[in-house]
Amino acid sequence: MTDTPRTPDSAFIFHGRWQQFLPIAATNLLLTLVTLGIYRFWATTRERRYFWAQSEFIDERLEWTGTGKELLIGFLMVLLLMGIPLFIINFAAQALVLQGQNALAGILGGGAYLVIFYLLGIARFRALRYRLGRTYWHGIRGGSDDPGFKYGWSYMWKTFLGYLPFGLGIPWAMGSLWNERWNAMSFGPHQFQSRVHYADFFGRFFLFYLLPFAIFILIAAMTFAAAGLTSGGMRGVGAFAAVGAIVAVVGTYLLIGLVALAFYAKFFREAVKALDLHTLDLEFTARTMDWIKLLLGDAALYLLAGLVAALPVALVVGSMGLFDGLALPNPEQISPALAQGSIVGIFLVIILPLMLVGPFIRYRHWKFFITYMEAYGEINLDELTQSPTARSKHGEGLLDALDVGAL
Amino acid sequence: MNDFINIWHYDGDSAIKRSPELEIVGRSFLLVEREWRTGPFAFADLVWQGMVGNALVYGLAGKDGWRLGIEGPIPDDLATKLPLHRDFGGWIDRVGWKRAAVVFTVVSALVIGAALKVPEWAAPFVPKSWEAKMGDAMVGDLGGRICHTPAGDRALAKLVGALEADPEDLQVMVANIDMVNAAALPGGKVLLFNGLVREAKSADEVAGVLAHEIGHVRERHVMQSLLRQLGLSVLMGGLDGTAGSGINTIVSMGYSREAEREADDWSIAALRRAAIAPDDTAKFFAKLAKAEKAIGGDKENSLIGYISSHPMSAQRRDIFSGSRDKSIDYRPALTADEWAALKSMCKNDKNVKGDGGLFL
Repeated sequence: MTDTPRTPDSAFIFHGRWQQFLPIAATNLLLTLVTLGIYRFWATTRERRYFWAQSEFIDERLEWTGTGKELLIGFLMVLLLMGIPLFIINFAAQALVLQGQNALAGILGGGAYLVIFYLLGIARFRALRYRLGRTYWHGIRGGSDDPGFKYGWSYMWKTFLGYLPFGLGIPWAMGSLWNERWNAMSFGPHQFQSRVHYADFFGRFFLFYLLPFAIFILIAAMTFAAAGLTSGGMRGVGAFAAVGAIVAVVGTYLLIGLVALAFYAKFFREAVKALDLHTLDLEFTARTMDWIKLLLGDAALYLLAGLVAALPVALVVGSMGLFDGLALPNPEQISPALAQGSIVGIFLVIILPLMLVGPFIRYRHWKFFITYMEAYGEINLDELTQSPTARSKHGEGLLDALDVGAL
Repeated sequence: MNDFINIWHYDGDSAIKRSPELEIVGRSFLLVEREWRTGPFAFADLVWQGMVGNALVYGLAGKDGWRLGIEGPIPDDLATKLPLHRDFGGWIDRVGWKRAAVVFTVVSALVIGAALKVPEWAAPFVPKSWEAKMGDAMVGDLGGRICHTPAGDRALAKLVGALEADPEDLQVMVANIDMVNAAALPGGKVLLFNGLVREAKSADEVAGVLAHEIGHVRERHVMQSLLRQLGLSVLMGGLDGTAGSGINTIVSMGYSREAEREADDWSIAALRRAAIAPDDTAKFFAKLAKAEKAIGGDKENSLIGYISSHPMSAQRRDIFSGSRDKSIDYRPALTADEWAALKSMCKNDKNVKGDGGLFL
């Protein structure tokens, strides 16, 4: 029986609504706070279960089957294997600096840095493997039997080599690592195939080298404008120069950010375009403008949360001004527990809205990802059998600890 | 939702979706689609997977990818046999998330309370030799920044001897660092920064501050606060950076304030024993109070009073100046020559390193 799925306009559709997601995010936040953060592994799982279940591919929703427990185990492994040694090394390095042994401290720190770098590569690999291994579609999952140790070395030397010739090798390193990562992955019985070539996005990378000229022109224009005003004998030139300097600094940062975004948009488009799964061609269609809108939306969310958080503070400070000190009880006379309790309370009122931003940014980014993903070709469901790869027992611990995105 | 129950199934081996009927046979069930059938499966082996679209989805223990999706109204005879929803994870779903939140809050409060209290009785049990080693590891000789001159060392030793009858285990040092500050470190080390010594009006003032730091050592506050910081940072490590460290700071503030008060008490008692007048130390706090007033912290009930790690300086000034006792015949802590030797110790030490590069 061959079941050819219907082909809608887009192979990927996101069905989520933020009103549905809010109760999930809110209960997650509350439970995370009252468990001193331990619940966050289960919170991540609940979040992803919602994201995945709201994402439809062709004729069926995705399904996330990761558990909080395995994320916790991954985290504990990182703590044991990395956290404690790093803590000791850090302590030792500080002590060495204070005793004037700077060279020894440097060697110690540098060695630790190299080890972290290697582990970071493995972590990126394993995070992708973990996520594919926990993602089901039609009861079929992905995965990889590669433990990623070799990828860790590749990550180290390719990144290093990429930075050497004025960073000109970075696109090559990115593309090559992307291929290496994805070619080790599979879904069902099918191997992913990735053949992205750095030439496909190197042009966009060159923007970085034009950047200094653009910044120079910006500064020159500001200087000329200021000089012109001075010779014209206008007043308030100092103020104008100050504003000009601020514009130049902010403009520079914005330019760097924009160029980075433009490059990444191009890289991601080309990288996904070069990715195939058996008879399926994948594509990602978001252009630089779409990425800009995504980040502007994120910024707006932070602004909104900041305003909500500032409201109670503004009210308290405002009323204190009105009633001349609103007679807070003397902290020396009330019990320390009460004083601390009230401080923690105020702190929470401020921090809660800001902490809700995180889940919603993840929501927006997932929605962005699904919305712009496309797939062409066809899937023969008869051929799509269960993945023979082993499922890792632990989650993306290291990546979670170091906070790197997987895709 | 549909009016009719709709069941779909994946067997986990292939991607083909089936729409079977579910036949209940006691505690098990069969899935039947025309001639095709599979089972029996025990209801007890079903595992709740989540809501996917409108469907309740179940997996089967031990069978990767096996799925049973149920959409629409579930008949009672089936509903009673299906396993529990596992939305929140673990036992939270059994007791309900609200009740679980209350339990978590109580447990967390107890754990934090323990982390704050335990160091107070645990610190004295840490062997002093360990503490001394830690102190050496942490500072050593501060990279050659400890000032020494024969006269200066003698003056410092006299000051310490006056304040503490048994100063053998103490190691008081003047560090060539230009900050108005002093610190008590593990292993009985007390650092007076040269900035404080230079700015001080008299040896009496240095004595008051020094006695305060010795107080920290004698009350074993250093080990307590190290243990407490360690415990709290482990506890809060799970929270996001800002929230965790914020709560951490607030909670430990209150305790450090208590410790500061104890050290002040120790200082006052020591000054009284040594017949050193507390007035110049009080003036030192008066100076600090002025600085606090400049940032709006002069009122005792101001917000700063809640978040400061130290008691309000105005209050400390009053306590120190109030401790003056007319029946005591106060003598200067050091002679004029001794005081001059202490004050110029870092300037006259040719071998000491400057403070550049330490706090990069």
